[in-house]
Amino acid sequence: MSDRAIVRECRNCRHFRNDAAFLEQLFKGLTALSSADASSRADDGLCLRHERILSGHASCADFSAVEAAAKVA
Amino acid sequence: MSQAEANFGGQAARRSSSGWKELWLKEDWWAIWLGLGIVLVGLVLFQYGASWRYLAVVPPKWTSAGQLGVHFVDNWLRYLVQFAFWAAAFAVALRAMGRSARDFLFAFAFVFALSVVVFVVGQWDRANFYGFEAPLVALILGLAIANLAPLPRSLDAGFRVELYIKTAIVLLGATVPFTLIIWAGPVAIVQASIVSLITFSVIYFVAKRLGLDRRLAATLGVGGAVCGVSAAIAISGAVGGKKEDAPIAITLVLIWAIAMIFVLPFVAHQFQLPAGVGGAWIGTSEFADAAGIAAAQTYADLVSGTGAAAGTSDQAVLAFTLMKVVGRDVWLGIWAFVLAIVATTRWEKGLGRKANAAEIWWRFPKFVIGFFVASILITAVTADYALADFNKTVNPGLVAPIKDLRSWAFIFCFLSIGLTTRFRELASAGLKPFIAFSSGVAVNVVFGFVLSAYVFAAYWTNLAP
Repeated sequence: MSDRAIVRECRNCRHFRNDAAFLEQLFKGLTALSSADASSRADDGLCLRHERILSGHASCADFSAVEAAAKVA
Repeated sequence: MSQAEANFGGQAARRSSSGWKELWLKEDWWAIWLGLGIVLVGLVLFQYGASWRYLAVVPPKWTSAGQLGVHFVDNWLRYLVQFAFWAAAFAVALRAMGRSARDFLFAFAFVFALSVVVFVVGQWDRANFYGFEAPLVALILGLAIANLAPLPRSLDAGFRVELYIKTAIVLLGATVPFTLIIWAGPVAIVQASIVSLITFSVIYFVAKRLGLDRRLAATLGVGGAVCGVSAAIAISGAVGGKKEDAPIAITLVLIWAIAMIFVLPFVAHQFQLPAGVGGAWIGTSEFADAAGIAAAQTYADLVSGTGAAAGTSDQAVLAFTLMKVVGRDVWLGIWAFVLAIVATTRWEKGLGRKANAAEIWWRFPKFVIGFFVASILITAVTADYALADFNKTVNPGLVAPIKDLRSWAFIFCFLSIGLTTRFRELASAGLKPFIAFSSGVAVNVVFGFVLSAYVFAAYWTNLAP
């Protein structure tokens, strides 16, 4: 699948991580009074390239599709 | 690469939970399925003259170990059945959300066993005299274990604070007449809005004056004004916060929220605030649902145990829930949307990010829907009962068992707060964020007290479940 075939949003980007278990490990103390499975988080996650917390529906010029990354690997 | 990234083999998954998938991938919806499932089955059983009573066993009030011994000899099987029930229900939910059911079951056995101990201590007839309110016992026990005798990491699978508290809040809805929500809800919204706006403004502008980044200022502001860690994470995502902003917010919210669990109920008790007023104040001034319920339940226990303040224990928990959940939590999506507009049009123009109005729904704390639906269901079904019949039939056969199951879910939650709070793991927040957040805490506590105890006191005092 090419970059063009998928929506160019963070949720489809290889730099983006939003798995709930991953976020709970990353942010120590998160589960004490909250949870990464909460609706309030929506699809937010961490952009490893810019080191920012972003909505899964955000996008930027550095987008790189997950599938493209897999081919490179 | 972070430790978390390394643990996931450098390939932590991306997972979309938007759209219909949210129905089985988010814990808010699972709290609804579990909570409303219990309520609906309870209604069916009630229609056929049965109830949840066998399963909803709780330790009795006791004065001697002998009494307890007799109770557990007679009822041990009921406790096992209840354990199996909760374990199966939560395991299904967590498995659907992609967690390990096996890890959860092992960990939940630990949580349930500790919960029995906490419940027993809380039911001792001298518990109030020694300040052994169940929420505080659970919290202190959990904190001591987590910080003095570190547990295997695999047990974290059973410390699901939010799943427990959200399920409990849905069950709480079944004990609240919907007419009461209609009557008190608008007052809660007005009071909560006043305090939320003031708290956010204070934290944001103090943070700005201290030279902090606007995105961190906004994250801390909404964390203090709306619903603590959940709000901080949501706002951080909405405004594109830095990776280090969320841990700072988590540390500050956690420390203040836990401090307030101890402070607010005892200060309210010193002022002899009526139960409803105390609950409303806690609902205005605590930072997270779980911590707030712990504080409100502690105040409820103080009120019922000492008789020093007017009102019933139910009023404290109910007033808290109306204020916190209806008054504050439901607006999180709007805060996120508005701040996303500001962030993308003023703070960081030209990055290609856009605010999306759908965010209001995406971030809506859906479990609140379950709270409302449970209330509507029970209110509708019991509308034709006169008060005497309600107390004689509906209460013991339908409402009381649900209330007891709710009490268990509360204790699972309170214990889990302590068990997941490892102070040595928390990020250093820094002095400036601490000053900014604490400024908001101070203003929030004072305004919350004035509005609850003076301006809207008549409403909260007369809140009658």
